[in-house]
Amino acid sequence: MPIRHVVGIAAALALSTALARADDAPIVIGVPVGLSGANSVVAPSVVQSSELAVEEINAAGGVLGRKLRLEIADDASGAAGAQKAFDALIYSKKVDVIISMETSAARNAGLPAVTKGRKPFIYTSFYEGRSCNKNMFVNAWVPEQQVPPVVDAFTRDKGAKSFFLIGSDYAFGRGMLAFTRAYIEKTGGRVVGEEYLPMDGSDWTSTISKLKESKADALITSTAGGAPNVTLIKQLRGAGVSLPFANLAVDEGTAKSMGAGAEGMYLSASYVTGIDSPENKKFLAAMKSKFGGDLRTPNDLSVPQYEAIYLYKAAVEKAGGTDASKVLEALPTVSFTGPRSLIGMSKQHHAPLTMYLGEVQGDGSVKVVSTFKDVDPGEQCPKLN
Amino acid sequence: MLLILDVLTTAAVLFVVAIGLLAIFGVLKIINFAHGAWITVGAYCAVVTTHLGLNPWVALPLAFVVGGALGALSELFIIRPLYRRPLDAILATWGLGIVIGQLITLGFGRDVQLTPNLVSGTVNLLGVDYSAYRLVALAAAIVVGVAFAATIEGTRLGLSARAVIMNETLARGLGIDTARVRLLTFMIGAGLAALSGVLLTPLSSVDPNMGVGWLIGAFMLVMVANGSLPALALACLAFGAAQVLISTFVSPILGSIAIAVLAALVLRINPKGFSRA
Amino acid sequence: MRLSRLAPLVAATVAVAALWVAPLFLDPFAVNVLTRSMIYAVLAVTVDLLWGFMGILTFGQAAFFGVGAYAAAMMLGRFGGAPEWIAAALGVAVAASTLLGLAVGWLSFYHRSTALYASVISLVFPIVVTQLIYSGGELTGSSSGLVGFDVLPFEPAGFFRLAAMVLVAVTLAAWVFVRSDAGRALVAVRDNDARCAYLGLNPKRLQILMTTVLAGVAGLAGFMFANASGVVAPENAGFLFGTELVIWVALGGRGTLLGPVVGTVAIDYLAANLSGNLPFLWQLLLGATFVAVIILLPGGLAELASRVVGWLPSRRAEGFAPTLRARASLPASRDYADPLLKVSGLAKSYGSLTVLENIDLEVRPGELVSLVGPNGAGKTTLMRCLSDGTEPIKGEIAIDGSSTAGLTPNRIVALGIGRKFQVASVFESLTVADCLLLARASHDGLSPVGRAQALSLPQAAIDVMRMTGLDRMLASPVHLLSHGQKQALELSMVVALEPRMILLDEPTAGLTKAERTTIGTVLRTLTGELGIAAVLVEHDLDFVRQISSRIVVLHQGRLVLDGTVDEVVNSETVKTIYSGGGHD
Repeated sequence: MPIRHVVGIAAALALSTALARADDAPIVIGVPVGLSGANSVVAPSVVQSSELAVEEINAAGGVLGRKLRLEIADDASGAAGAQKAFDALIYSKKVDVIISMETSAARNAGLPAVTKGRKPFIYTSFYEGRSCNKNMFVNAWVPEQQVPPVVDAFTRDKGAKSFFLIGSDYAFGRGMLAFTRAYIEKTGGRVVGEEYLPMDGSDWTSTISKLKESKADALITSTAGGAPNVTLIKQLRGAGVSLPFANLAVDEGTAKSMGAGAEGMYLSASYVTGIDSPENKKFLAAMKSKFGGDLRTPNDLSVPQYEAIYLYKAAVEKAGGTDASKVLEALPTVSFTGPRSLIGMSKQHHAPLTMYLGEVQGDGSVKVVSTFKDVDPGEQCPKLN
Repeated sequence: MLLILDVLTTAAVLFVVAIGLLAIFGVLKIINFAHGAWITVGAYCAVVTTHLGLNPWVALPLAFVVGGALGALSELFIIRPLYRRPLDAILATWGLGIVIGQLITLGFGRDVQLTPNLVSGTVNLLGVDYSAYRLVALAAAIVVGVAFAATIEGTRLGLSARAVIMNETLARGLGIDTARVRLLTFMIGAGLAALSGVLLTPLSSVDPNMGVGWLIGAFMLVMVANGSLPALALACLAFGAAQVLISTFVSPILGSIAIAVLAALVLRINPKGFSRA
Repeated sequence: MRLSRLAPLVAATVAVAALWVAPLFLDPFAVNVLTRSMIYAVLAVTVDLLWGFMGILTFGQAAFFGVGAYAAAMMLGRFGGAPEWIAAALGVAVAASTLLGLAVGWLSFYHRSTALYASVISLVFPIVVTQLIYSGGELTGSSSGLVGFDVLPFEPAGFFRLAAMVLVAVTLAAWVFVRSDAGRALVAVRDNDARCAYLGLNPKRLQILMTTVLAGVAGLAGFMFANASGVVAPENAGFLFGTELVIWVALGGRGTLLGPVVGTVAIDYLAANLSGNLPFLWQLLLGATFVAVIILLPGGLAELASRVVGWLPSRRAEGFAPTLRARASLPASRDYADPLLKVSGLAKSYGSLTVLENIDLEVRPGELVSLVGPNGAGKTTLMRCLSDGTEPIKGEIAIDGSSTAGLTPNRIVALGIGRKFQVASVFESLTVADCLLLARASHDGLSPVGRAQALSLPQAAIDVMRMTGLDRMLASPVHLLSHGQKQALELSMVVALEPRMILLDEPTAGLTKAERTTIGTVLRTLTGELGIAAVLVEHDLDFVRQISSRIVVLHQGRLVLDGTVDEVVNSETVKTIYSGGGHD
């Protein structure tokens, strides 16, 4: 692998020049993420894509001649852990920026620290929308972008008129389904049932019985990632439910872990591994060569993380340094073409995105059924620019 | 019809999950908060049999044996010094549950594990297509319940256990090795919990925390049953029905806390719950 | 002596001063983390009071904390951070949690409630609260929690100092309280709540009161948390946080106050530094340490420290003893003709088993009535029915004309009945002086801040102690007393109640000849000179013959004979019963 040698030598050279100039200390990126708790299934893939981005950027000479360095902290997927993690990163590790995929509770818990510590914060997780803070930018989807493709496809392709909605009782589940219901009713469909179970609930028996009795044409679910998703799908399959079924909160990795059980399920995402673009192929190849057998399937949470690091790089270069207020000014104006195509956080701190409707195959992989170009995030934060 | 099946199968699942806890509480008067961890251990036995390419049903005896063996170790080293401190035993077993959960995480990772279906498909029962596995779970509950009752009523161990429940000093005086009875009871309790873990795999996600969600419900049912097997069956039916009915006609969210709240109220009115003794 | 009483104040002042300047030397990370740790430590103090001192294992303090935090966040989010609204938010946070504490306390503690039931409620309560938060939509922010509300206008150092002040104040108040006379009552309730009730105290009311007040303190901590962190989330109210609090208290050392405070701050600070790198290993280590401490070191790290250093207050009472003082006895001015106790048509059965049937009995002031009869005749059951009006019975029991039906033991004590049990029922963790202090509590009250320097008892109680040498052992822990000394202590406690009637269940069982004579002398003094009535269950017929003024014979649940000593002793019926017919 002569190319890798060349890269290695270049990196070594860059490192030695960096060491020679004391004011060129590395730029530190803080990544608070749920290494334990509910997010711990997906967190390793987020860490991996961050590592790849930093390695690539450093190998190419860094940012304004400075190296990037990652500081990972566990937020335990919750508010209390996030407070500790954000405090540790901002005050103890003295990071220049926070870039992270987190639960909504953890994000909210971190926001006061970000505001007080005056750090830019790029949030890379899809979420229920309308979280606004002048220091925070979001490069992942919100309901306005994700739901319409699913509903439209079911209405158009499957002739569905009546929908049944099932969610976990938390902000994301409720937020997604509230938007879904409104969108279905706006487009002429009917919602014949809407049921929630607590996040740690595991018995869907009566919900499934109601679903069967409702004679709905299609099912849309927004259950919490990990266990609730798997539990619901297992019990749905056990009860012989076979109507068109879309899951608004499942990632490719989880779909894979459910094996044949998830076959035929639809999901809507801004990233699936099957995207046919040179950037995505290059990204997947780089991930594979860096992590080999330890590779965690890249997904709709880890890829925005990868791209956010590049977006930050672009903003620092435009701002001419890491000064927070200048970077925040630059962030909405920069863009990056990554695995998900061209990304810029130009609309009220949120990003217009290309969305993909995928169908899970028998082997757990996801096939892209249709593509929706540049879907607008809508009015998320009218008070921000 | 659907509703009746839902009630019966829900009660069956609750019964299977709670019976291991009941065995330990009934004889030892110890509340085993590691119960959730034993359930998880059992489910991971199913994961292991899948990795080894064995028939998924092999997981049932394997889980019983593994659960029993781990139960023996914890009785010897953790429970034995705490028989006189029942509240401390709750805490120590809770701590043990944390340790087991973290060990599973270190060994298998945090991910949701893939397990095979024991039985798939639906059965048409009086005009209703019903999940075949839930009917299997109903049968399993009956088998486990009857086997447990037979052990208590018909075997030497059961006799000794009943003697220990009634009067431990007297039982010791009659030459019963009470320490051995306690050890075996704890092993059976842990083994039954692990067994229920396997039976849960087609209904539940298999991950390191899966058991914790079942712990509180099982605990409340056992409190209401006050250590009696028929009372447990009755409690599972009554509260299972309450859960299904509230979930169906009011809200599944209220349904999910129904068992805990109703059990607390029943105990407030009658501290002996559903048991006559 | 003086110095040791001032020591906590001095220590608190030093702690306040040190914590006031600490933010100048700590980096911002440590200031933020320690602020939260100290707020959690306030909660740990409340858990320690409930669990370490009162024996109530609770997971519910987290829910009160969450209620306080959410109440504050919701108020501040809606009305903003003007001073009057901050004050209102504080008021609502404390009031809401206090009210819920009252409800939970009322639900958890009732006549014959068990410690386990209180733990069950403390498990269910956070589950319900968390579910309400999740279902609260915009109001509570559901799983995302609330963020962006106005808070107190402090810098991080200001919040650090606020948390430190509150922590020191709460710890000092708790410290003073548990070392006061009233603090002894907490331990007494844990040791033996039945005895508390039979001393005329209301243990359930004390438990409800403590639950209520400590819920309010947890609400205050919640208010501070909402302000200091600027965010509240469902996990702040959850059952898992409740278990974490218990783990911190257990590791720090339950029943020591300082142990839980140090344990909470140390573990939470360590977690903030270590768990980021090794989340699962950290949990594993914490869990394993917790199990080991519960089994091997129930007193936690504080026990370890006190073994090494010897300055932390151990749970055992220190060797403090007040001076004994005799108080003027009530004059025996009762009209001797009226019956003090009147039992008519009493019947008691357990299911289909009838234990007592058709009992009629009257006892007058100054009488010493002995209940005799073979085992299983129903003597102890009769005593229980007399002293506990909640026992389901048929018939009527009246004390001085008022019915006891439905009255809990403490209210029957208030009518003037004292009961001494067969097995000495005293407080094993307390000293002799503390036991007597509690016996006087229903008359004299208990100071919640200090220790009484003098203990004034009725002369008769002092006499019992003199005769048995207990008066020289006031500072001794009760668990070191001999069997006979415990019996004498319990009798002194019952006499110290200044009852009008005493119920004694085999007071001489297992005593030496000399001790028996002493008890007999005391009983004769009480009945003969002070006009107190006594009902005595006794097997020793010689003893009965010497001291009784009347003897009542029970056989198979029926009253078969009621007469003077001579009548009964010479009765053919008694001879038949005792010659074997009775033991069928």
